Amino acid sequence: MVYSAKMLNDLSGDEDSVELEFESDSEFNDDEYGEGSDTSDELLYKNDKKKTDYLDSINQKESLDRKPLENGYENDGVPRLTYNCLTTDQIYDLVLLRLDRIQPIFDCPYGDIIVMLQKYGWSEERLLEDWTEFEDKVLISCGLKVAKQIGCSRGLQNHPDFLCHICCESNKRKSFRLECGHEYCLECYQHYIKDKLLEGKVITCMGCSLALKNCDIDAIAGENSSQVLMRSSIKGFIQKHSNHYKWCPFVDCNCVIQVNNISTLSEFPRFHLSPYVVCKNHHRFCFKCGLESHAPGDCQVAEVWVKMAQMESANLNWVLKNTKECPKCGVNIEKNGGCNHMTCQSCDYEFCWICELCWKGHGGGYYECTRFKKDENNGAPETKNSLRKYTFYYKLFSEHENSAKLDWALGLAVEQKVKALQENIGLSWIETQFLPESIRALIEGRTTLKWSFPVAFYSDPSHNLTKIFVDNQALLVGAVESLSQLLQVKEPQDIINRKLEFFNKAKFVESRNKALSECGRDLLCKGICIARTT
Amino acid sequence: MSRAKRVMKELQGIKDDPEARVGLQLVNEDDIHLLKGSFLGPPGTPYENGKFVVDIEVPMEYPFKPPKMKFDTKVYHPNVSSVTGAICLDILKNAWSPVITLKSALISLQALLQSPEPNDPQDAEVAQHYIRDRESFNKTATFWTKTYAPLDGDTQSAPVDQVALYGLNRVLVEQFVSQGFTENKVVEVLRRLGIKSMSADDHENANKILEELLK
Repeated sequence: MVYSAKMLNDLSGDEDSVELEFESDSEFNDDEYGEGSDTSDELLYKNDKKKTDYLDSINQKESLDRKPLENGYENDGVPRLTYNCLTTDQIYDLVLLRLDRIQPIFDCPYGDIIVMLQKYGWSEERLLEDWTEFEDKVLISCGLKVAKQIGCSRGLQNHPDFLCHICCESNKRKSFRLECGHEYCLECYQHYIKDKLLEGKVITCMGCSLALKNCDIDAIAGENSSQVLMRSSIKGFIQKHSNHYKWCPFVDCNCVIQVNNISTLSEFPRFHLSPYVVCKNHHRFCFKCGLESHAPGDCQVAEVWVKMAQMESANLNWVLKNTKECPKCGVNIEKNGGCNHMTCQSCDYEFCWICELCWKGHGGGYYECTRFKKDENNGAPETKNSLRKYTFYYKLFSEHENSAKLDWALGLAVEQKVKALQENIGLSWIETQFLPESIRALIEGRTTLKWSFPVAFYSDPSHNLTKIFVDNQALLVGAVESLSQLLQVKEPQDIINRKLEFFNKAKFVESRNKALSECGRDLLCKGICIARTT
Repeated sequence: MSRAKRVMKELQGIKDDPEARVGLQLVNEDDIHLLKGSFLGPPGTPYENGKFVVDIEVPMEYPFKPPKMKFDTKVYHPNVSSVTGAICLDILKNAWSPVITLKSALISLQALLQSPEPNDPQDAEVAQHYIRDRESFNKTATFWTKTYAPLDGDTQSAPVDQVALYGLNRVLVEQFVSQGFTENKVVEVLRRLGIKSMSADDHENANKILEELLK
């Protein structure tokens, strides 16, 4: 899943505003879907209103405008996702824009509000709620107000000869202090701040809980260092709001997708496909589980499959051996000390290393975690057999993964070809669009194919539908390979001459892709494909 | 660089202070990486009249990263592992700040002995004991202090009374010993089952213990 990020960029046109649709059987919608949609419509309406509000503020800065949906559904009642593709800096800019609006409420400097927002996990609502009730308490708890004024000025200080209590060196010339009077030399402060910048939490005075504002951080660690803190803080924000925001999982892609009509997301599993989104760099990924788009498998198939694949790799073996996933947010945690009371750095969840349950619940039954639990005994011959089956499918899976990588490279070459066609032969932009279209069809076909192997692996091989699925697989393989071959054609004139062939083959891949996806969905719906860990 | 200077200064500070309630020494004269700290058990607690030694490891990034501390002396306390001596204290983890010194950290440990946090335990079994039966817990903790942390010199080399060490009810142990089981076996089974004491008519547990003993 390691694709180079930049591709098809110039070819995309206004692809950015994406509404994706999900193919579905008509029988599905008619009887299962019709009733519930009224209430959801209302919900969507609210969301859209919020969104237009929100977009007004973006438009001033950058044209990220998207058509607001009148209704979150296609005509046939299939839910659609509407989303924006943002970067962390854009999200931070949005927050700053919001700041302009809420600043009059607080009537204190921007720097202070940023500290408070950070402390409140960037949740304006919670902050405002607390603010209106106990303004002073909020200020003190956020470290913006000294409990007792001692008349110290804030900022850098110059001395002929200063003794710092942290490094115990005398004859320091520059130091820094806050209103609390705790003063330390500049080098120590820089050292102290350096690591904290990446943690994304409010940095306080070393001696008390008074907060360093962005201007202080810049004064100590140099211009723009507060930006580093803001960026990591916003990362925490995205992690905390992972229902609405997701990172693009592709390597070196820093896009964040923000879904607006999140309420429809829960309706997707009904269709047993991955509700995918496409980032600015044309990476398609499933918004629900954060993996690449994995139709025809559902999220569970993908998750179980990926876990299994990871177990094979020695590198991830280490992770499994030495780390555990935070039971709440899923971040991998390495235990580096003796204490079993773990606190997740990312979501502050406290849990027990041994039993992975909430630490609070350790009041009554904590012996449980030191007790030996019997493992389910697994028959050795069966394991061996299933391993062989797994290896077979895994090889197919990774081969198609590799091919997909090569297809991306091919896509870049196609980009060149399109330019050549436009310049040398004088074709218009629209006339060359069949090339990127075919590449897109190819890549989508390849991805579906790739994820169809896990589905096949977990399916009951004796069932008729599985056999049909495998046949469909073979047909898609044929279609994809023949299109892939056609795309190898280099001569520009030749390409033009074979335009119709391109068109036909791409359409064929698309229809085979759809057929395989639907077949996979049936397997999942009817319980023929069940993802298991062993 | 600043680490060496700071540690030396902290050592000197404790030496110069006759009122200091804590001790701090280098393990090797030429290595500031490893130290041993010590303090007396707070009066009015089961740890009174005990001398507790703490292993201290000063990381390279000290004072910007917390020192690693664990009890060298065995302590019976909810927030200290009775096996490894590992300590569960926030200032030694996330709440560390460069202004905290080894001395103030040791004083915090002393305060921890004074006021255990059974709801945030390091040793779950000990914490359980603390919550369920304070009197019996105090007895055991006092016994551990006497056995492992005597003020005057070395720990006893004589065999330790296991029943007292694990806070088990003597009558309960005797009950099974009189049935012909060895004391070692009875103690081992009771520890494994996590039973310290039980009422006379608790037949369910009595049967469980017997079953284990007969295995």
